[in-house]
Amino acid sequence: MDKKNTYTKPFLVLSLILVICFFTNISLGSVYIPLKGVFNSLIGTATEQETWQHIIQNYRLPKAITAIIVGSGLGISGLLMQTLFRNPLAGPFVLGISSGASLGVAIVILGSGIFGGIFASLFISKWGIVLAASLGSFLVLLSVLMVSIKVRDTMAILIIGLMFASITAALVSVLSYFGSAQQLQQYIFWGFGSLGNLSWDEIFIFFLIFTVGIVISITSIKSLNTLLLGENYAKSLGLNIKKSRLTIIIATSLLAGTITAFAGPIAFIGLAIPHLTRQVFNTSNHKILLPAVFLFGAIIMLVCDSIAQLPNSDFTLPINAITSLVGAPVVIWLLVRKRKMIF
Amino acid sequence: MNDYLKTLNNLTFERIKNLKLRLAFLYLVLIFFTSCKNEVSNQSEEVIDKNFAHIKYAKGFSIKDYKTYKFLEIKNPWPKAEKSYRYVLIDKENAIKSTFSKNEFDGIIIKPIKKIVVTSTTHIPALELLNTEETLVGFPGTDYVSSKKTRHRIENDLIRELGKNDGINTEVLLELNPNLVVGFGIDGNNRSLEIIKKSGIPVIFNGDWVESSPLAKAEWIKFFGVLFNKEKEADSIFNTIEKNYLEAKQLAQNIKNKPTVLSGAMHNDVWYLPNGSSTEAQFLKDANVSYLWQDSKGIGSLQLNFESVFVKAKDADIWLSPSNYNSLESLKNGNSQHAMFKAFQNKNVYSFNNTNGESGGVLYYELGMTRPDLVLQDIIKVCHPELLKNYSTHFFKPLK
Repeated sequence: MDKKNTYTKPFLVLSLILVICFFTNISLGSVYIPLKGVFNSLIGTATEQETWQHIIQNYRLPKAITAIIVGSGLGISGLLMQTLFRNPLAGPFVLGISSGASLGVAIVILGSGIFGGIFASLFISKWGIVLAASLGSFLVLLSVLMVSIKVRDTMAILIIGLMFASITAALVSVLSYFGSAQQLQQYIFWGFGSLGNLSWDEIFIFFLIFTVGIVISITSIKSLNTLLLGENYAKSLGLNIKKSRLTIIIATSLLAGTITAFAGPIAFIGLAIPHLTRQVFNTSNHKILLPAVFLFGAIIMLVCDSIAQLPNSDFTLPINAITSLVGAPVVIWLLVRKRKMIF
Repeated sequence: MNDYLKTLNNLTFERIKNLKLRLAFLYLVLIFFTSCKNEVSNQSEEVIDKNFAHIKYAKGFSIKDYKTYKFLEIKNPWPKAEKSYRYVLIDKENAIKSTFSKNEFDGIIIKPIKKIVVTSTTHIPALELLNTEETLVGFPGTDYVSSKKTRHRIENDLIRELGKNDGINTEVLLELNPNLVVGFGIDGNNRSLEIIKKSGIPVIFNGDWVESSPLAKAEWIKFFGVLFNKEKEADSIFNTIEKNYLEAKQLAQNIKNKPTVLSGAMHNDVWYLPNGSSTEAQFLKDANVSYLWQDSKGIGSLQLNFESVFVKAKDADIWLSPSNYNSLESLKNGNSQHAMFKAFQNKNVYSFNNTNGESGGVLYYELGMTRPDLVLQDIIKVCHPELLKNYSTHFFKPLK
């Protein structure tokens, strides 16, 4: 009970920061909209200019929500992977989720010329790329899972995931050799990652799958804490290693898979956020870490997006560049200041 | 006495030595001049007519006529090229009589050119207009070619496929052994063209795409004219194109209402659209429409944020060239924000993406550069439908 109390305050502060970041993110953009206009647009009353309402309601608000989902989802799946593999270098994409997704997208975009027919029509449809990315990451993950049932060593799964990633990367480069310049351009654009591309109905589905992933993660908090002691010890405590391994992998794939499908491969956040959280909270208890990673991920992503929009200029920077530029120095600074890594 | 004789002897010896040196020097000079005779005579020959092919708009190339040979200089094969590229064009008979230093020129092209390889679809209309399409023996990415004449020759296997995209299949090219390869470079590094050059096939860079105005791009037909000894034909073809262009421009200037125009489209979070000094913007200016980013400057396309585009162009009348989207549905699926523009709702979106050749190549990319008059007339037809009543567009079609 004492422990819980000591963490109430930082959680309150973090939640407050999240709310502030959320509203700052919405009120900043290329077009200057006064606070009153932002507020009026949010509650739906008339604004001075009709365009403002559209920008806030249909562009900035979905973008901010996407940023929260992406940041928190990637952070949590990174945390799950780091604990499962007991490896500080692990991230949400170590099992080949992003490379599987990129293979799916590559087949739809670049392969429409080679395979024609179904792929071409799939590409045109709204859900084409989302479906392809989900299917790609799911298939790669399924193969990793099948192998993982046979393999006892968790580290071996890590290596197998990396191998699958390089196989898919090779397939993508073969496909891109045959693709036309226009298709290549399309594929590269997807690789930049994007937060502001989703409409409300897409966000609804995005949020639904995200919630399922989060719930599964919460149910596995106990086994995550036990896994920290090492697999043998966890086994002796009565943990069903294979089952909990499977649950953790499914949660990760749901989170990271859908995020990659909807927003493209977003770099760095998944690796950095768990480290940042551990340094700040000084604990490795997942009961604390999981919600903290959620908050930190959302905050950092909102901040990165606000910077990427370059408020009051006409330009936008690719979100992937900003996440690394902002995130990496923060983690370095924390590690240097505390002089040791908490893991 | 003895001493005196000695000095005298020495002196004469010195003199003789000096004399010998002088002779040797003279001899050397003589050798130098005689050995250089051919080159020198070529170099010193009078320029017959410095501007025999008068170039009005293009800044990227110049032609000089030296009676027995012609000198072609490509100044800007790619943006910010470090040096200009110099080529000698000479007829077979004259080539035997003269020598050129290989180091001084980037290529010596022996005419007549019976077999040519070009590397961009933009080169094909020029070949056809000059009636020299029969000389084309190879092309990389034949599927991109749309012109009926050349497509027919591709289908009859008269034009070899040389591979896709950047990498030219060197072995097939060497086997074809053309008289000339017309390449283009994005920068100075093109390894496959370098290999071809080393094997003795002259490679010349075409820099039409670097030019900044529509007519300057079209004027590169004179580049092909001089290659095929058809300077006069090239001149008259260009003059017709120029005349048509200027007439169309004049026609549009008289009209008073200027529709507002939006261009480009969003990919992910970024809206890509042509800047105010681009060729596209010049077309719009000459068509007397108000392109909303007419005053912007810069190199390459503008990359803007959705919000700034939306505020500026929400009520634009016409939306021209929405990137590579080819239907209203795909435009909306690409980004739902696209559907919020008035031009989209009124179905006033026009694109050249749906005018394709048989194998899917986009005709605009092939013909647009050589025929700016057609492009301008198309835009005038779209933006001022009351003009050019009997004209049907060549490239632009409304998106459905």
